[in-house]
Amino acid sequence: MTARAVALVQRYGLVVVLVAMLAVFSLVAPAFGTYGNALIVLQSVAVVGVVALGVTVSMTTGGFDLSAGACVGFVVMVTALTMVRFNLTGGTAIVAGLIAGLVVAGINVLLTVVAKVPDLVATLGTMFLFQGLALIVTSGQSVSAGMTIGGSPAPGRYTGGFVWLGGGTVGSVPVPVIVFAVLAATVFVFLNHTRWGRALYAIGGNAEAARLAGIRVGRYRATAYVISGLCAAVGGILLSARLGRGDVGAGDPYLLQSVAAALIGFAVLGANRPNALGTVVGALFIGVMINGLTMLNAPYYTQTFVQGALLVGSLVVSYTGRRERKTT
Amino acid sequence: MSEAAEPVVSVSGLSKRYGATWALHDVTLDIHPGEIVGLIGTNGAGKSTLIKVLSGATQATSGTVTLAGRTFQPGGPLDAIAAGVQTVHQNIDDGVVFGTTVAENLTLDSLSRRGSGWFTTRARTRAEAREIAASVRLAAPLDAPVETLSASERQRIVIARAVSRRPRLLILDEPTSTLSSVEADLLLDTVRQMAAAGVAVLYVSHRLAEIEDLCRRVVVLRDGRVRRTLTAPFDRREVVEAMLGDAWEALDQGRGDAAAPPKRDLPRVPVLAAAGIRTRPGGEPFDLEVRAGEIVGVTGLVGSGKTELLEQLYGARPLSSGEVRLGGLPYRPRDPHAAVAAGVAFAAEERSAQAIVPGWSVRAHVTLPRLRHHNRAGLLSRRSERGSAATVVERFGVRGPGGPAPVEAPMETLSGGNQQKVVVGRWLEASPALLLLDEPFRGVDVGARADIGRTLAQHAADVAVIVASSDPQELLGLADRILVLHEGDLAGEIPAADATAARLAALMSGASGAPGAAA
Repeated sequence: MTARAVALVQRYGLVVVLVAMLAVFSLVAPAFGTYGNALIVLQSVAVVGVVALGVTVSMTTGGFDLSAGACVGFVVMVTALTMVRFNLTGGTAIVAGLIAGLVVAGINVLLTVVAKVPDLVATLGTMFLFQGLALIVTSGQSVSAGMTIGGSPAPGRYTGGFVWLGGGTVGSVPVPVIVFAVLAATVFVFLNHTRWGRALYAIGGNAEAARLAGIRVGRYRATAYVISGLCAAVGGILLSARLGRGDVGAGDPYLLQSVAAALIGFAVLGANRPNALGTVVGALFIGVMINGLTMLNAPYYTQTFVQGALLVGSLVVSYTGRRERKTT
Repeated sequence: MSEAAEPVVSVSGLSKRYGATWALHDVTLDIHPGEIVGLIGTNGAGKSTLIKVLSGATQATSGTVTLAGRTFQPGGPLDAIAAGVQTVHQNIDDGVVFGTTVAENLTLDSLSRRGSGWFTTRARTRAEAREIAASVRLAAPLDAPVETLSASERQRIVIARAVSRRPRLLILDEPTSTLSSVEADLLLDTVRQMAAAGVAVLYVSHRLAEIEDLCRRVVVLRDGRVRRTLTAPFDRREVVEAMLGDAWEALDQGRGDAAAPPKRDLPRVPVLAAAGIRTRPGGEPFDLEVRAGEIVGVTGLVGSGKTELLEQLYGARPLSSGEVRLGGLPYRPRDPHAAVAAGVAFAAEERSAQAIVPGWSVRAHVTLPRLRHHNRAGLLSRRSERGSAATVVERFGVRGPGGPAPVEAPMETLSGGNQQKVVVGRWLEASPALLLLDEPFRGVDVGARADIGRTLAQHAADVAVIVASSDPQELLGLADRILVLHEGDLAGEIPAADATAARLAALMSGASGAPGAAA
C-alpha cells in the first residue's frame, strides 16, 4: 500500500467499516434497519458510552482510569441503598451517586497526583478497593425493594422519578440516550474547543512542555479524574435506574467495554488520540455489531471475542505506520 | 597503505528527492583514510539527508556511493554498520539505555553479535567494557548507572561503542552541541586519534572553531548542493559566506564579530532585582539586576549553573536563597504558572523534550502559554489563535519547506532553527516583563540565530532578557553585558564592548581571580 492509501485507511477506515456493517445488517436482517431498532441500539450503548466519555477524558492527559467500571458498580449500590435501605428520595440518590463518583475520583487523584503512583496501577488498586467496598456495604447481597435487613424488610424502594431515568422516554427517545448525547456534545466541546481541553491534551502530549508553558499539570490531571469519576457516576445512576435494583457486580462489564470504545475511538478520522467523537463512534460500533449479530442469531458467547477482534483491528489502524498525528 | 590511498568513501552525483524538493542535488565528495572532513551548512542545507544516506537510514534517488572500492547501497542501518560505517547522532540519549550500567552500555553491540552465547556474565561484560572504555579514555566507573553520568560521558560511551566496531567511516553529527568547550576539546582529541589510526571521519558541526581546528577540508552545503569545498587554512568568513549566501548581510548587522549591540537608553529602575541568590545550595550568593530593554548574557561551561539560575527565576525549581523583586514587587514563584502570571517567560534548553508537543501545529505551540488570552466566553477562538501565530511567523521569519511556515503546519515539519523561532517567539508575543532563554541557539543554524537575535533587539525594547549560552560567541553582538558562571558561582561580569573570547574563556575556566574560583 502506498503511504496515501495507509493515510486514507487510518482516517476513514473505521467509519467505512461501520457504514458497511450497517448496510449489510440492514440487508440481511430487515428488522435491523428500523427506527425502533436504532433506538434499541442507542439505548444499549448509552451507559457504556457515558462511562467511555469519562475514560476518554482520563486518557487525554496520558492517564488511564481503570476504576471506571468499579465506580459504576459502586454508584449502583450507593443509589440503591439510598432509596431502598434509607428510604430517601430519588434526587438524594442522584446526589449520593455523584458524590460516590467524586470519592472514587478523589482516591485516584490522591494516588496518582499526590502519591505519584503510575496511573495504570493506581487506578487498578482503586478498582479493587471499590469493587470490594460495594460488597462490604451490602454484605455481598443485591439490594432490592423488600429485601430483609436485620430481620425486618427494607423500608424503601426505587422511586418512580428515578426509574424514569433508566426506562423513560422523551418523545420516543429513551432518557439514557438523551443523557449520552448531551454528555457527548459537552465533552466534545470541552476537549476540542476550550482552553482546559487544550491543556489536557498538552499534558498528554508532553507534560514537561506543558508545565514549562505555565500549565498546572497536577490540577489538570486531577480534573481529568474528577470528570472521569463523574461520568462513571452518571453511568452508574442510569444503570441503577434501568435495573431497578442494586445488583452485585453490575458495573463489572463496563470497564472493558468503555475502554474498548475509547481505544477504538483513537482510530476514528485519524485522530490517534483520545477524542469524544471517536469514543461515540466506538461505542456505537460495539452496539451495532452486537445488535446485528444477535439478529443474525449469533450466540451471545461470541460477543466478547468479536469485541476483542474489533478492538485489536482498531489498535492496528491507529498505531501501525503512525507518522502523522492529528494537529491541534 | 600509503597516505594518498584510495578514498574510503567516494560519493558521486548523489541526489535525493522528497516530493518536489531536492534535499540533495548532485553531491560529490571523497574522504580518504585518516582524513577528517567537515560538513557544514545551515539547517535544511542537506546535511542530515547526506548522513541518512551514508548511514543507511534512507536511499538516494540517484548517484553512487563507493565504500573501500565497492559499491555501497545499504538497505538499512544494519547494512551500513556491517559495511563499516558508524554514525553517532546528535541526540546522545538515543544511544544509551537508561537503567543499565556503563559496562552494559559499552557492550550493548555484543548482545546482537553471533557467537556471543546465550548468557552474559558480569565478568565477561566488565572485561569487554574495560577494553572499550580504555580506547576513548572514559574514566567513569563501569558499574555506575548510565543516568548518573554527564552528557559528555554518556556521549563518550556512544562514541566508544562506535569505535570498538573498528569502522572505516565514522560520521559525527553535531557531537559537541550539548558539551562545554572543555568537554568538546576532549572529544576533538578522540576524533584526531581515530583519524590517526586511519579512520575516515565526516564531522558535522555548527561550530566553526571546531571545524577550523579539526578539519583539513570543509564541505559547505547549501540547498542540497555542495556550494564550496575549502582546504585548510580557510577563512571563517568565506565559510560563513558560502553557508549563508543572501543571508550574510543580515548576519553582519545582527551580530558582527565582537560588536556590542546598539546603545539604548535604559530605564534606571530594574525589572528584575535579585539579591543574594545562588545557583546551588552552599554556593556564593550574588546579585543580579536586569533593566527593561536590556539583554544580559549568562555563560559558563556545561554544569556551571546557568540552567539552575534561570529555572529558579522561573519557579521551575525552588529558590535556594535570596530576595527577588520583579517590577518592584516581591517575587517568589511557586511554579511556572505563577511565574507566567507575573509576566516571566522561559524557553527551556531541550527544545524537543521541554517545549514541543508531538503532532501539534505552530499555532497550538504559539498559544499554549497564553490559552486564557484566546478564550472567548469559555471557548478558544481559532481566529485569535491564528492571529498570534501569524504574528510570530512574520516577526521571526519562521520558514517551512518552501516559504513562510503556515500556522497550521505541524511543528515537526519545521527545521530546528524554525522551531526555535516559534518557541522563543511565542513568549515575546505575550509581552513579558522578563524573558529567560536557556541555550536558545543550540542546534540552530547561523541564519535562524541572526533572525532571532535581530527580532529580540527590535521587539524586546521594554522586556528584560536573560540569555544563557555555553558558547559565549553566541552572546557577542546580542547581549549588553555578560555574566560568567564557574562551578555554580559568579566568576565575573563583562560589558559586551569589552568582551573578548580570551577574557570570557579565562573567566569560564576559573583561571582569572574570580571570587570563589580560587583553588
